[in-house]
Amino acid sequence: MTVAISTRSFGDVVADAHRAGRLVVQPRMGMSSPVAMRQGLLATRGAAATTVGTITLDSYTRIGASAEAAEAVALGMELNGYPLVAHDLATTASVLAGVLSEDFPVQIRHGSPCPEPIVAALIAAGLHATEGGPVSYCLPYSRLPLETATANWARSCDLLAGVRATGVEPHLESFGGCMLGQLCPPGLLVALSVLECLFFGQHGVRSVSLSYAQQTNAEQDREAVAALRRLAGELLPDADWHIVLYAYMGVYPRTVAGADGLLSQAARLAVRTGAARLIVKTPAEAYRIPSIAENVAALELAAAAADSELLASQPGLPADTGIYAEARALIDAVRNLDADLGRALIKAFRHGYLDVPYCLHPDNAGRSRSYLDRSGWLHWSRTGSMPIAETLRPVSRVELTAAGLLDALSFVERRFDEAGRTELPLPPGAPPDALEEPKETWRSTPMSQLSVVPTTESATPPGTRQHLASPTTAAVLTIQSRMLAAARTFLSQHGFTEVLLPIVGPVTDPGARGAKQVDIDYYGHRYKLMTSAILYKQASLTMFDKIYCIAPNVRLEPLDTTVTSRHLAEFHQIDVEMAGASRDQAMRLIEDLLGYLVGKVLAELPAEFERLGRDVAALGELTAGPFGRRSHSDAVTTLRELGHPQNPDAEIDWAGEAKLSGLESRPFFLTDYPKGSRGFYDREDPHRPGYLRNFDLIAAEGYGELCSGSEREHDYAAIIARMRETGENPAKYGWYLDMVRDGIPASAGFGIGVERLTRYVAGLDSVWQASAFPKVPGVVSP
Amino acid sequence: MAAEPTGLLQPRPTVLPPRPGPGGLSIVVTTVVSDSHTWNLVFLQLALEELGHQVRNLGPCVPAAEVIAQCLRSRPDLLVVSTVNGHGMRDGTQLIGLIRKCPELADLPVVIGGKLGIAGPAGLASSARLRSAGFDAVYEDGAGAAALRSLPVLVRAGRQL
Repeated sequence: MTVAISTRSFGDVVADAHRAGRLVVQPRMGMSSPVAMRQGLLATRGAAATTVGTITLDSYTRIGASAEAAEAVALGMELNGYPLVAHDLATTASVLAGVLSEDFPVQIRHGSPCPEPIVAALIAAGLHATEGGPVSYCLPYSRLPLETATANWARSCDLLAGVRATGVEPHLESFGGCMLGQLCPPGLLVALSVLECLFFGQHGVRSVSLSYAQQTNAEQDREAVAALRRLAGELLPDADWHIVLYAYMGVYPRTVAGADGLLSQAARLAVRTGAARLIVKTPAEAYRIPSIAENVAALELAAAAADSELLASQPGLPADTGIYAEARALIDAVRNLDADLGRALIKAFRHGYLDVPYCLHPDNAGRSRSYLDRSGWLHWSRTGSMPIAETLRPVSRVELTAAGLLDALSFVERRFDEAGRTELPLPPGAPPDALEEPKETWRSTPMSQLSVVPTTESATPPGTRQHLASPTTAAVLTIQSRMLAAARTFLSQHGFTEVLLPIVGPVTDPGARGAKQVDIDYYGHRYKLMTSAILYKQASLTMFDKIYCIAPNVRLEPLDTTVTSRHLAEFHQIDVEMAGASRDQAMRLIEDLLGYLVGKVLAELPAEFERLGRDVAALGELTAGPFGRRSHSDAVTTLRELGHPQNPDAEIDWAGEAKLSGLESRPFFLTDYPKGSRGFYDREDPHRPGYLRNFDLIAAEGYGELCSGSEREHDYAAIIARMRETGENPAKYGWYLDMVRDGIPASAGFGIGVERLTRYVAGLDSVWQASAFPKVPGVVSP
Repeated sequence: MAAEPTGLLQPRPTVLPPRPGPGGLSIVVTTVVSDSHTWNLVFLQLALEELGHQVRNLGPCVPAAEVIAQCLRSRPDLLVVSTVNGHGMRDGTQLIGLIRKCPELADLPVVIGGKLGIAGPAGLASSARLRSAGFDAVYEDGAGAAALRSLPVLVRAGRQL
């Protein structure tokens, strides 16, 4: 059975866009859920860019273990791609219905050395474009003998070529321009791309694309793609071909600015070299499989970079350092081995005429080595039996070390992350050296001098006028203001709606530990000032799926918190709530959000950080990827080992938090608090009764808690039960329980303490320094 | 060519490399069956060799049966499983189950590390599940060089048990 969906040939769609001067951008997107996959395709189609769709398959399907994939699907496990073979045809048809159009073909991307079932499944689903190759999907990713993979690919090409009979020209892209993603010198990448496309042609596929993955030096890449075009023109005269560029396939920058910079460079390279299509990557790649929104953002960023490059003056031809000649020598040597390209490729690897550096496959000779020079130019240090010369005589007996390998692998990451941190436009204003040195004695000390247990001298603010006149306060509040602006930008870009929530109400969050609520007379009713916006946040999700607010909270903290340096009776939170989200999603959002905020202020406010004496290198850690996770019980054990008498059934007390925080150089999440320690809205773990699906984010270096969050209880009966367990009277929560009874969405969310975050980022002794009009607990204040 | 996987950094001898030096371990480095990544394996081999261990690197996408066959053949001091494709929980659990069913390998020290879930660091619950499935240690992404240096301690502790 075939699904009757017909679209134009993938090659024609790309060629038309190319002729019209538009770069086709394409994600590397694959979700295991059919619903999510469909949403991803629709989002790709709807992006503000010229796009084609991608369905990337999961790694069980890739290795031919579709039974495993089917089992995982049946168990509801999330896979790292769409299990095309495991899903039945009707499921895939429902994913594609209304997605495919004349101008929006979908390509299946996989990585399989045994792709016949995949090709059969994609043809059955009415598709006709895929990618791979006998070498490029065997050597780097499998342990299948090259001979077997070549035979598999020959049959798969024949199968795909058969689609022509239905009236549409099938398309096959060679993945040969990638080969491990890193450290393969361009001459070999170009040669493999061309050789695989010649192989496709021998098996009847007439519409092909030749790939090249962005490497470590933009000029070398420009020369390489020029060589690829020239060779395609010479050797594929009868084929319909275009060039597809892959945004960098190696270790990706960890800052958003760095990742965006790298992707923009790839888009510019595509335009400059006449590539017709670009496969993008996202800033999330460094950590995890990106979301749909992140994919769309990357597509739009690449399209915008390509558009602006089109308007820029075109550079001249790249210098010829010999990439064309090297690729041509490799191709000719292979073709001379056998008239059948499949056999020629197998012989070439056996003889070491083709030899991919650092490739572990048994059929790869493993005698070649490469290295990066200081400008990121890739060279051969050893060419083994390949018919090419080393560009530099290898230094004998020098083995690559693990550290040297990491250095080479992270070259691009480091360079773009550093550029991302320093090359953002500086805000207008006086240069750092023009600023007056602060004279205040309470000027914050550098991080290195900060002790874990804060001193009491810093616990009391000076007079209001003196505080407001202090350049330190101005620098701190400038950082805070910029972070709040960045938070709004980040959250709105991620689809959150800012909702202005009440500051007075009949009830408020009862979960604030040990703090008293403030009563006010509201037309004769006893109302509360908000200790947090949690109840309104949950209710707002009946209106929007993702909301946030930046709002003041009032908690009359006990007097013993006066000296903690991290409590204010009045403070603000960046309060975020997401319908349908998990705790993990909330924690990942925090990582991304904080990485973004801190990256922004570090780049934009160097003068302020200098004024404050903040060790920005230490702070940069905050932007370097996911934070650690440890459970509450684990933390209790650690504290008790340190001699701290932590109650295992309560929240970590502030001194304990400071101790844990002082042990770390990076923030970390504390998860799974025992039930008695938190409010009724933190969801109880269904698999671990008595523990909550919640977390705190604890800053490093003694700064303590920055943020609390959880998955929320949203079920009426569960909430009533939890209210009773926590000693709350449900009768007080009338409006809230009315909402809950009629249904509120499951959600997860968090609140980030603005002043505490500011204290941490600015490296302040005390949290009151992060407020213009601080209310230190127990201190009479303006 | 034989199915015997070869190493990567020099033309691989057909016999095993020399026994490790004093304090060094004989280590098999592998990944799980669905994981096609290799840079992590290349790095681990180099790093472990620099620490004085002898490494046999099985390369990508290794079926459990192949891991077991290699361990039975070379009887290593330690098996290191490195995986970064997000299927480590599932594949790792299956692999260790099969290893522990093999009487000769019931006491083999086996550790797993990498990106074990598709959603970033999987947390302690996942680590505990892998440990209870039979791994002697579980290292999340970012565990660092200290984790590698601690491996001999782990192996010696295992011997004393």
